Amino acid sequence: MTIVARFEIELTRYLDADGAALGELPAFASNRETLVELYRWMVLARTFDQKAIALQRTGRLGTYASSLGQEGVSVGLAHAMRPEDVLLPSFREHGAQLLRGVTPKELLQYWGGDERGSNFAVPRQDFPVCIPVGSHAPHAAGAALAFKLRGEPRAAVAVFGDGATSKGDVYEAMNVAGAWQLPIVFVATNNQWAISVPRNAQTAAATLAQKAIGAGLEGRQVDGNDVIAVRQVIGEALDKARSGGSATLIEALTYRLADHTTADDASRYRDDDEVAKHWKEEPVARLRSHLTTAHSWSKAEEEALIEACAAQVEQATDAYLAEPPEPPEAMFDHLYAELPSALAAQRDAALAETPE
Amino acid sequence: MTTSSESTQAAAQAVECTLVEGVNLALARALQDDPTVVILGEDVGIDGGVFRATQSLIGRFDESRVRDTPLSEALIGGLPIGLAAMGLRPVAEIQFMGFIYPVIDQLVNHASRMRTRTRGRLSCPLVIRAPYGGGVHAPEHHSESMEAMFTHIPGIRVVIPSSPAKAYGLLLAAIRDPDPVVFLEPKRIYRAVRETVVDDGRALALDHCFVTREGSDVTLIGWGAALSEVMDAAETLATDGVEAEVIDVATLKLLDFETIAASVEKTGRCVIVHEAPVSGGFGAEIAARLAGAGLVNLLAPIERVAGWDTIMPLPRLEDRYMPSAGRVVAAARRVMEYS
Amino acid sequence: MGDVFKLPDLGEGLREAEIVTWHVGVGDHVVADQPLVAVETDKAIVEVPSPRAGRVAALHADVGDILEVGAPLVEFDAGEAKDTGAIVGDIAESPRTTERAKAAPAVRKLAESLGVDLATVTGTGPGGTISSADVEAAAGTRGGAGEKLRGVRRAMFQSMTLAGRNVVPATLNDEADIDAWSEHEDPTARLTRAISIACKASPALNAWFDPNTETRTLHKTVDLGIAVETGDGLFAPVLRDAGNRNTEELRAELERIKQGIENRSVERAELTGATISLSNFGMFGGRFAELVVLPPQVAILGAGRAEPRVVVQDDQPVVRRILPLSLSFDHRVVTGIEATRFLNTVIEDLALAG
Repeated sequence: MTIVARFEIELTRYLDADGAALGELPAFASNRETLVELYRWMVLARTFDQKAIALQRTGRLGTYASSLGQEGVSVGLAHAMRPEDVLLPSFREHGAQLLRGVTPKELLQYWGGDERGSNFAVPRQDFPVCIPVGSHAPHAAGAALAFKLRGEPRAAVAVFGDGATSKGDVYEAMNVAGAWQLPIVFVATNNQWAISVPRNAQTAAATLAQKAIGAGLEGRQVDGNDVIAVRQVIGEALDKARSGGSATLIEALTYRLADHTTADDASRYRDDDEVAKHWKEEPVARLRSHLTTAHSWSKAEEEALIEACAAQVEQATDAYLAEPPEPPEAMFDHLYAELPSALAAQRDAALAETPE
Repeated sequence: MTTSSESTQAAAQAVECTLVEGVNLALARALQDDPTVVILGEDVGIDGGVFRATQSLIGRFDESRVRDTPLSEALIGGLPIGLAAMGLRPVAEIQFMGFIYPVIDQLVNHASRMRTRTRGRLSCPLVIRAPYGGGVHAPEHHSESMEAMFTHIPGIRVVIPSSPAKAYGLLLAAIRDPDPVVFLEPKRIYRAVRETVVDDGRALALDHCFVTREGSDVTLIGWGAALSEVMDAAETLATDGVEAEVIDVATLKLLDFETIAASVEKTGRCVIVHEAPVSGGFGAEIAARLAGAGLVNLLAPIERVAGWDTIMPLPRLEDRYMPSAGRVVAAARRVMEYS
Repeated sequence: MGDVFKLPDLGEGLREAEIVTWHVGVGDHVVADQPLVAVETDKAIVEVPSPRAGRVAALHADVGDILEVGAPLVEFDAGEAKDTGAIVGDIAESPRTTERAKAAPAVRKLAESLGVDLATVTGTGPGGTISSADVEAAAGTRGGAGEKLRGVRRAMFQSMTLAGRNVVPATLNDEADIDAWSEHEDPTARLTRAISIACKASPALNAWFDPNTETRTLHKTVDLGIAVETGDGLFAPVLRDAGNRNTEELRAELERIKQGIENRSVERAELTGATISLSNFGMFGGRFAELVVLPPQVAILGAGRAEPRVVVQDDQPVVRRILPLSLSFDHRVVTGIEATRFLNTVIEDLALAG
């Protein structure tokens, strides 16, 4: 009997749970500014997240999916991307979207039920939030194929959760990425929960990263709560993608500290003790510790940052709340490039109807 | 991205061709005229497609633009969305309508709504082509007519050609359209009819019904392959002195109801013919509209001659399922009793 | 007064009772056998049940009153009692649905435009549905519009109906030889003159008859009602005192009347009071007719189409211009001889050259 294939999955981590360096850090991590930047985006993401939950609880935002605890993954991966790369998020990558240039107001509009929230002013080619789990993975393959056909040094980054890795769409996208050597980075944010289904009930695979092997891709694990590690690993995968080295699947290990959405009550299916344990590993505190210890991050700077983020989020909230909804013709006017005559009468009828 | 070999514009040639050849001509024309057009699907490359719809394209154009995908219909539905959002114009082939259903997820959840949900920032100028319909004595699942499923999706178009020239002109229109089009090719008449097609790159109008025969006694409405039965029925009726007006719907969504309404205003009688199962078929939409805006012009009940509400039978019983010219004639005669 | 329910015989020879408790009030709906009131007799307290379903319109006694048997107790709303089976509330009766005519929408549209009531049409289409042809047949003519009678047509309907009911008509037909007339002779004027003269000869035809009082009034003057057919219908303006006008005056008056009709300026007074009538229907066509005598008149002369005819003169066939005449009269009050005399006189005068 001959062994015809083996595989290895590497896990990358630079900081321990308390923020102490485990060994040599990547070059960018010795740059205080860069680290502060990463930290700032994570704080902004969390501040936004808290505000969004508060708005939902007061009836001013729709059902919202919190990213509490996952800021390291979102911010790390987006920070590694270039502006001309394309992000295809699921519904929990608020930090990534913010870093890519989606404004807090746009995010609030999206979650508040206004389509204008997906008409990003800045990242014009980033995809909007994808709700049907994993169904955007093939889009990433399509976008990456476009880059390849046009010879553009761009990459597509598709982000999804642990549950999504059970989806056929995700496998099909990985498979074609391998077959066609497409410039994609697939990021599986393993926050251990797919609503109420824990990771070990999702699949028998020992890691999610090894699902890449089946598609002929490299699979890697990274400590998702170590934003330095995330930044580094994603960066490597992007470089590889852009240089024709094909796609990678990166499993970012983290934990969903909040409920699945504001319509979920996680205490129905998981232990508060378990959650409490994972708070000890969360990414924002971890980087703060590191910043404090290794780069003298001060209380003043901390307070200033918190204040600045709060102000930014507050301003966005005011703007969002002040914005009246679009007129009803918006339902029709953007459906096709040009309003078809077949729909003109319906549009008129819709406008004529006044709500009671 | 460059086109290979062809450096000059092909002169507008008139060619005698079949429907599937009309499709091929249109694809070639599109690849030639528009560098953003990309063709994908299973076996579309060197094999030229199982019906040869993409035959020889890979020889004339770069293989990067005529790509064989792995066997994954969901992927074939999703890839074009990524391509289109980045400014390319993908034309994806699904091998048979029986395999198209995973694509519906991508059509409904993404392609149909990408433009409106981003308020125009991203859009999906893509075409999904698939051979459909029965009458070719094929194995299971290869004879489906489920066009009504697609007509129910807001934000897309559903186009069905009935002849070589229509296939050429409508497919070009579909490819050039800035929004998603599901282009269903009636495979029963892929090779049955030859017609002169001028390869001049001219598209036919979408959202437009064609009156293929004028008459004033009864309106016969159909699309795709069923039109050949309808035309046969019209000939038979003419021997009785009944002059049928025949309408080829062509674009089911978005429907040109005005043409249909004007015809029924003239004749007062209507028979709608489609292979697909009768209940919830697209004929129901036309009938509902006639019963609305066209009601006062109706002399007779609206008849639908369609497939039964059963699973499409295997070839041994297929002939008992497909609407025949005889059934169309009988329906027309029934409505002619009303005056 | 509605339906009054009187205090019923309570049995055992008891003739009166005292009202103890009313169980219903005015406006209540009750059903048959529902207790209306408790009354006390010598013997016991008795519940009086309602004889019917209905709505209580009035209570005819107060608590404490002593009523005799047979005295009014409860009054129900007049009109058919509907047993809706409801003690409380007003359950509306659903209107009776009449069966709707079966016709396709286009046929309905056609019927509406032709003024055809589909309920009156029998369908010959498939399944007994009404076809366009059925509607058109019902409408009478293709494209004709059925309309409810109004104005002059209605008046004609009414007066002819009246005539039909009252008069016993008889008609005498004869012909006048008008070959001697000049080309410009006005037939109406000549007929008017002839009638005036004939009225003198046979006054019984210039009369009114009242069947209710069985009274006949002979008139001294001839007020001739001249039937005029216009696009709007049949008018009969009256030429007053025809017997005392010369031909010139007759012509002038006829012209004036004609203008008045055309201009629709003729007054109502001018249309009433004719003592005898003339219908020069021959202007339009036809030779003889049984005309309708319009009460209270007793006679009407009709002139048909004047035509050259072959007649016998001195045993020889000759062609003469002949005017057919029809004299219809009410045989209840005009004798055949009176009619004959009248007509002969008319014929004689018409035969004159001028």
